[in-house]
Amino acid sequence: MIARFLKWSRHNLFGKPFDILLSLTVIPGFLWLAYQVAAWTVTTARWEIIPESLRILMIGIFPAEQAWRAWVAIMIIAALLGAALGCVFAFRKRHAAGLLLVLAAVIALTGSKDLTNALLTASTIAIFASGCAAISLIPLLRRALLPAGFIALIAIFAVMSPPGAGLWGGLLLSILLTLVTSIVSLPVGILLAFGRRSRFSSMRWICMGYIEVMRSVPLIMVVYWIWILMPVLAPQFGLADVVRGMIGFTLFYSAYVAEYVRSGLQAVPREQTEAARSLGMSEFDINRSIVLPQALRVAVPPLVGNVLDIFNTAPLVFIIGLTDFLRAGQMILANPQYGDRTYEVYAFLFLTYFLVGSLITFVARRLETHLARGNR
Amino acid sequence: MNVHHAKAAEHAVDDDLLSARRRRNRIRYGATQFAVIAAAITLVVLFALAVKEGLARHGIRFSFSFLWDAAGFDLSEGKTFVFDGTFWLAFTEFTSERSIAQAFAAGIVNTTKVAVLAIVLSTMLGVLLGVSRLSTNWVARSLSFWCVEFVRNTPLLIQLVFWYFAVILHFPPIAAAAEFYGVVISQQGLFFPALVWKGEGSPVAIAMATACWVAILGLVFDKHRLVRRVCMGAIVVLPCLMLLTGIVELDFPVASKFRAKGGTGMSPEMAALLLAIVVNSASYIAEIVRGAIDALPKGQWEAAASLGLSRRDTVHDIILPQVFRVVLPSFGNQYISLTKNTALGIAVGYPELFNIYGTIANQTGHSLEGILIVMASYLILSWAISATVAWADRRLSKRGAM
Repeated sequence: MIARFLKWSRHNLFGKPFDILLSLTVIPGFLWLAYQVAAWTVTTARWEIIPESLRILMIGIFPAEQAWRAWVAIMIIAALLGAALGCVFAFRKRHAAGLLLVLAAVIALTGSKDLTNALLTASTIAIFASGCAAISLIPLLRRALLPAGFIALIAIFAVMSPPGAGLWGGLLLSILLTLVTSIVSLPVGILLAFGRRSRFSSMRWICMGYIEVMRSVPLIMVVYWIWILMPVLAPQFGLADVVRGMIGFTLFYSAYVAEYVRSGLQAVPREQTEAARSLGMSEFDINRSIVLPQALRVAVPPLVGNVLDIFNTAPLVFIIGLTDFLRAGQMILANPQYGDRTYEVYAFLFLTYFLVGSLITFVARRLETHLARGNR
Repeated sequence: MNVHHAKAAEHAVDDDLLSARRRRNRIRYGATQFAVIAAAITLVVLFALAVKEGLARHGIRFSFSFLWDAAGFDLSEGKTFVFDGTFWLAFTEFTSERSIAQAFAAGIVNTTKVAVLAIVLSTMLGVLLGVSRLSTNWVARSLSFWCVEFVRNTPLLIQLVFWYFAVILHFPPIAAAAEFYGVVISQQGLFFPALVWKGEGSPVAIAMATACWVAILGLVFDKHRLVRRVCMGAIVVLPCLMLLTGIVELDFPVASKFRAKGGTGMSPEMAALLLAIVVNSASYIAEIVRGAIDALPKGQWEAAASLGLSRRDTVHDIILPQVFRVVLPSFGNQYISLTKNTALGIAVGYPELFNIYGTIANQTGHSLEGILIVMASYLILSWAISATVAWADRRLSKRGAM
């Protein structure tokens, strides 16, 4: 064991003079830093601010007595995400065991303080798992996934709207924004991608112009622009800030989705189209049932990466006055009572963002290998 | 009528049918083209009319004449172009009596300043991080991996506000500023030593400075390797000579009670924005470099090893030259997204283009005209970057390897 470690360290730490120098300077420095951070985490940091303000971080200024609406929305989202994951990854028995462990841990850790929330969290996880298992074990359900997704979106809006869409906030707003943008921008992006390689040059030019302009201006500008433009264009609707933000995000990210889909379309061999044409299929049928499925297969991993991009740019809605996760954290820090807890709050924000982001990245990477397996 | 005639007649009928169908197709194609264009134009006109009507309801007229009004607001930093009555455009500090057009110019200058600095710094840091993934040292490898993962999986905005509110604003105030080899680090900003021209009008000094410029131009543009080497030598030697003879002097900043004197400074907002964008883009660039290295055929490594090249020589002479030829277009995309990301400066109050636009829109109400200007500016910036990168790409691939 020790000999093995010595051999490993000779190869990986002290192989060359420069490596020795690097290892000898970086490792102690890093250990010192790690020690400082750990010492701060355990002794100096006062973490009670996080549980105290957890509600604001999670749902913003959404009224506390309406919190059940947020829970319902979260459960719908969990079912949807679980179902989406179940399409790709087979649900195994060991996954079920792992989930049971997580459930037990959640209840054991938080159950003593706040039993209802612990139970609600646990049931959310359970719904996620059952969505995953159902889709993965009953392949017939997969056909219903896309309509179910849209119905779920409508249901979420129906549940969340009554107190006023202006009250949405916190992590829930970030997630909803990401979900709506990534689902709605998909069909728009596919249409744009097909438009960009249309037979008609005018169509091509219009789609290309839209995509190129959207890709070279900042998102924050598009969101702000849509936000001020909507009341000017359609004053009779009086759209809420959240909806205007979602429209801005969708318009912006459709251009990116179009580019990913286009790269997928280019990966489909021309012979496929020609063969389908020689069978007498119509252009619409060719694109819908021959080209698009193969193109999406190539485009899915970058599209999942795009979901991460959307989630990571969701805090930009601060420009139109919405309180997303980051802004909620800043709001807590603005309270003079908590002014000295900067590092605690930022550590929590960073950790949450990193966890969600890593999860999405992980799924994208797994998808890439999973989809590459079928290629000949 | 014999068989031949019948066939010929059939052919003629076929030809007629074919040409008729072709004509029909052509007409249908043209009609669709026309319909698409007409629909697009109608949409744009309807959109413009609706906007005009909506603005009229708010009592605002769509016009660009507000650009020449006095701005009436100050910027925390920023220089603009001033027409000084003669032939030249002067480049001076923005003040509130300047026009709104000049405020936009100041915003573009500030955005470009951050973008150019960030492009240079993030390329250096990113390549370093990407190459250290190849290191034989486990510490360097895993450190760069985790840094890149962490930065790529968290939003840029939280990184930016963290750098600003949790790092830079926690620096010591300038009265007790930390000094680090002549660099003053404080809450009020970072101050660096600057080069100051002391040569006055002496011909020798001017000749040396001109020679420096010529050498830089030669290094970038000349095709002969020998000339480029000479130029490189001149670029190293001449500035040293100028420093030694006192033609150019280093001016160190000195911290006083409220601000630092001498040297050149950077406001805390700009420092935070620059730090956040550099670190963020550097990790994306590192990922691009890593991807390009992974995409190289394994045979390249094995061939180099079988020739007896050391690992250092392999990386330096075989791997990196090929990597840098393929990554340049991806770098260009990253530079464009970096430039767009400078718009986040509004979150910390750095007066870049979008921030200044926000102020102007609030003051004058001409938000839609302003958006067009801002959009056009970002489009031009993006196109300039992609043109430059394409030019560099052409040069590099023409010259073969690096």
